[in-house]
Amino acid sequence: MKLIVIGGSAGSLQVIIEMIKNLDNKIHIPIILVIHRKAQSGDILRTLLQQFTRIAVVEVEDKTELEENKIYIVPADYHLLFENNKNMSLDSSEKMNYSRPSIDVTFRSAAEIYGENVIGILLSGANADGVEGLGYIKKHNGKVWIQDPKTAEVDYMPRHAIEEIDYDLIITPDTLASYIKQL
Amino acid sequence: MSKKKILIFDDDTAILEVITIIFEENGYEVRISETSHDILEKVEDYQPDVILMDNWIPKIGGVEATKLLKSTEAFKHIPVIYVTANNDIVALASEARADDYVSKPFNLDDLEAMVAKHIQEPA
Repeated sequence: MKLIVIGGSAGSLQVIIEMIKNLDNKIHIPIILVIHRKAQSGDILRTLLQQFTRIAVVEVEDKTELEENKIYIVPADYHLLFENNKNMSLDSSEKMNYSRPSIDVTFRSAAEIYGENVIGILLSGANADGVEGLGYIKKHNGKVWIQDPKTAEVDYMPRHAIEEIDYDLIITPDTLASYIKQL
Repeated sequence: MSKKKILIFDDDTAILEVITIIFEENGYEVRISETSHDILEKVEDYQPDVILMDNWIPKIGGVEATKLLKSTEAFKHIPVIYVTANNDIVALASEARADDYVSKPFNLDDLEAMVAKHIQEPA
């Protein structure tokens, strides 16, 4: 099974909302969203994102099983790891890159379990989180997509990724959904 | 006609991003503030048509910030919609002297309708 993991920080939600709206209420590959946000934010982000699509948006719980046609969001203040090619687990170990959830942690775990079947996508953000994880995905023959820094509200994260990683595709808020539909 | 202005006090950047997108798509101008102790300066500077106030906003909190605004002659007419996941929302909004309240998590359409109502029918 293929897997899409999207990491984003400041400015990433406008891209994610645009993507969700353009997915036509259907995806055949699970999408995992790792979004930096306030630790005590509850599940409000899930509730808000659900209002843009009929695809189920699910906040991951410990041992949640991956299913097709679902968008999973990592809960605030937890890291998300893949246990095997079916189950996810939550982890409250130390922050990485000042972040929990950390994009690097999930990208790395996805690369180790899903190998060439992972598509790692890094969006707008002011943090270095995610760049190293994209390197792992590439090393395990997965695909790396990065948001065009010119379209990013905060270009630090995608700019660094483009400089450091051998990427496969540059995406924009307008094109992301159509590329996903072609997978 | 100039755009109606919303000033949002909240420190959850991800939520702010989503709300900002929705209101801008609906023709509003949005400014955000991640602290509330400087509410009078922020309001003076921006002159909003409506305010969304989170309960847990850093420094002095939503209740104190709203009280401060509502006890200031020049700004007390500006509608404040109190936003919280707290079960005591009615009591908190009343103590703050807010004009209305909405529970987190909220429906985006309902929030937009509430903002529109208060802009059309100022308190």
